Amino acid sequence: MCDIIWCKKCNTVNYLDPYCFWNWEGKVNCAECGEVYYIHMIQGHMYKGPEPRPGEKPDIHPLYADKPYDGYTNYPPGVEGKTRPYNCTPRHIYLGRADQRKFSIRNRPMRAWPQPPSAGIAGSQGFYWDIKKLSPEVWEEYMEKIKKGEVRDW
Amino acid sequence: MADPREVRLEDLPGPKSREELEDMKAPYEEYCRKLFDVGNEFVKPMALEGVRWLSCTMYIFTPHAVANLGELGAEVIKIEFPRVADPMRHTSPFNECYFYPLHDTRPKSGTGIGVLNANVNEYYISLDYHRKEAQEVLYKLVKMSDGLTECYRPGTFDRWKQSYRYLQEINPRFIYVWGGGFGYGPKAFGGSYDILGQAHAGLASITGFHEDFGGHPVKHSNWCIDWYSGTQITIAILAALYWRRKTGLGTMIEFSQVQAATRCCGYTVPLYGRFGIVRQRWGNWDTQLCVHGIIICGKSDYPDEKNPQLRNEARYVMVSAFNDPDFKELCSVIKRNDLYEKYKTHKERVRAEAQVEIYRELEKWAADKSRSEVVRILTEAGLLAAPVKNDKEVYESEHFRQRGTVRWMDDPMLGDVIAQSTYSTGLFSETPRRKFWDFRPVGADNIKIYHELLGYPISTIQEWYEKGII
Amino acid sequence: MEHAKDLKPHEFLAKILVPEKQTNHICWSCKYFKPVLKGSKFPPADLIGWCKKIHWPFYWCVSEYDVVKSCYAYEKLE
Ligand code: SF4
Ligand SMILES: [Zn+2]
Repeated sequence: MCDIIWCKKCNTVNYLDPYCFWNWEGKVNCAECGEVYYIHMIQGHMYKGPEPRPGEKPDIHPLYADKPYDGYTNYPPGVEGKTRPYNCTPRHIYLGRADQRKFSIRNRPMRAWPQPPSAGIAGSQGFYWDIKKLSPEVWEEYMEKIKKGEVRDW
Repeated sequence: MADPREVRLEDLPGPKSREELEDMKAPYEEYCRKLFDVGNEFVKPMALEGVRWLSCTMYIFTPHAVANLGELGAEVIKIEFPRVADPMRHTSPFNECYFYPLHDTRPKSGTGIGVLNANVNEYYISLDYHRKEAQEVLYKLVKMSDGLTECYRPGTFDRWKQSYRYLQEINPRFIYVWGGGFGYGPKAFGGSYDILGQAHAGLASITGFHEDFGGHPVKHSNWCIDWYSGTQITIAILAALYWRRKTGLGTMIEFSQVQAATRCCGYTVPLYGRFGIVRQRWGNWDTQLCVHGIIICGKSDYPDEKNPQLRNEARYVMVSAFNDPDFKELCSVIKRNDLYEKYKTHKERVRAEAQVEIYRELEKWAADKSRSEVVRILTEAGLLAAPVKNDKEVYESEHFRQRGTVRWMDDPMLGDVIAQSTYSTGLFSETPRRKFWDFRPVGADNIKIYHELLGYPISTIQEWYEKGII
Repeated sequence: MEHAKDLKPHEFLAKILVPEKQTNHICWSCKYFKPVLKGSKFPPADLIGWCKKIHWPFYWCVSEYDVVKSCYAYEKLE
């Protein structure tokens, strides 16, 4: 069960995630206009509120908010001062783009990028990856790394 | 001259007296290092050499049941559906990982990293059981194999005339394993997933924080019941092999995953039977021991780390001090001797209300300390405390490195990869587990198995491939 | 829910969480009682609810046929 605070001032729907708000009493801000609402939830049911408490300080942000009449523009979790971050936010290098690494963390070559089709008889693929033959440019890069002393044991 | 038939102690090699025996013994540490010789597993024999197993499996649960055999030396043939393959190949957390195109007609889809460790040391062939030609091939393989593990819906292999009752007729020594969700009975057609096992067996209901603290039932993030039940199947297979040595007869093992998960619940079900008590979650604390749980400290061990997963999360410590002297010591370390006076016996402090108070005081004490400080202070006081590690720290752990639990290997297919699963299952002095390769492309061993083992001509195999049978 | 405003929390809960059964247990007016809700299919048929106190953190199943008339841990719902 998930309840919402529909802010009538700015027509924003603020979502109250059950993991945090299941049994909860306090003040939540609207992600868009910052209006503060008092709520008291018991076992996932809205017991009291939402009552506007203008001018007071919120105890917590909503996790997520959107504006359904506005082409669903939204505030994802973790917008500073507006929505709550996950405790465990994603890695800084997590950009949502495929990250095709050629080398492991100790700088030895690994295979993790698309290969040209290369099946033999009856579609059987070779299973030994000869890096020097199949990816000469990675091999070269690897040799370079060895020279620079970047290749480690751990 | 001494009688040559007489064996004299002096002439025998080795120690001559108890004292000498003691003298000659290497220290236990050294003895173990030499005996297990971590890193040199490959020169030793393999326990299950000579066993041939067929794996008609998907995802993690049933594949892992067979991977155990493969790591112990069995020759395992994994049969995948042609062009489609084990769906686990596409169930991957990181789509950037990509190992070979599945086959030439789907050059853009490869294998993701999620499949790692579930099908170790196996040969990969493809076969479509629906086709008439496939049956003869499968029967031939069954005749020369010791067993098979499958995970199709109950009765599917029976409909295809390749269930135990059919295969038993062509190979009475055959060991047949079905592994799946519910098995025969009221929910025969329910599928099987790790999370289903955790939910249906009551495991999730006792995992996580108590309702009174706002907790909800929680599943384990990894598919631990898949790995666990797979291992249970392997145990069943080894017992069946032993039984067959004594009787010459095969066995059918029908293994329900949701059933297996109830074993992890310990005393939970009998508790209900005896007292009508419904066991509840107790989060990071323990209902039988106190202090014996995980606490949070105020400061991170990596306050400046860019990665928030390290910066925010490196704050948990596991603490154990449940017997009286240890608890007394703990109370004096945190300068709360009054707590010890209040809860002098274990019976008193294991009570839920007492735990709430004790852990709260512990966390108050840790609020201005970092995780490593807390561990250091408690360890120096002679108490058991350890940081709650993440995978970065598991990788860096000296303990795991020395024992070979975590190690790098050069996989023929993946290149540089960390192998941890194979080497996490105990050390063997004579027949250690080992990993030759992780997985191979779909149908990589079609020629090896169909041509070299079964003797079909290459032209036939080519024809099967064009018809989509393999 | 405007009308909920004047209710105490337990009255509010009693209003939205309707119990399946009514018996003579004193548990009904006890702070620690968690009733089986109307329409629940899962628990054994003879349960009226769970006591959250006697075996806390575990729950003790309160049977319909074993009527608790007095209890050392009873605390009146205020
Ligand atoms: S504490 Fe006693 S009266 Fe209250 S619910 Fe439990 S058994 Fe019933
Ligand atoms: Zn607003």
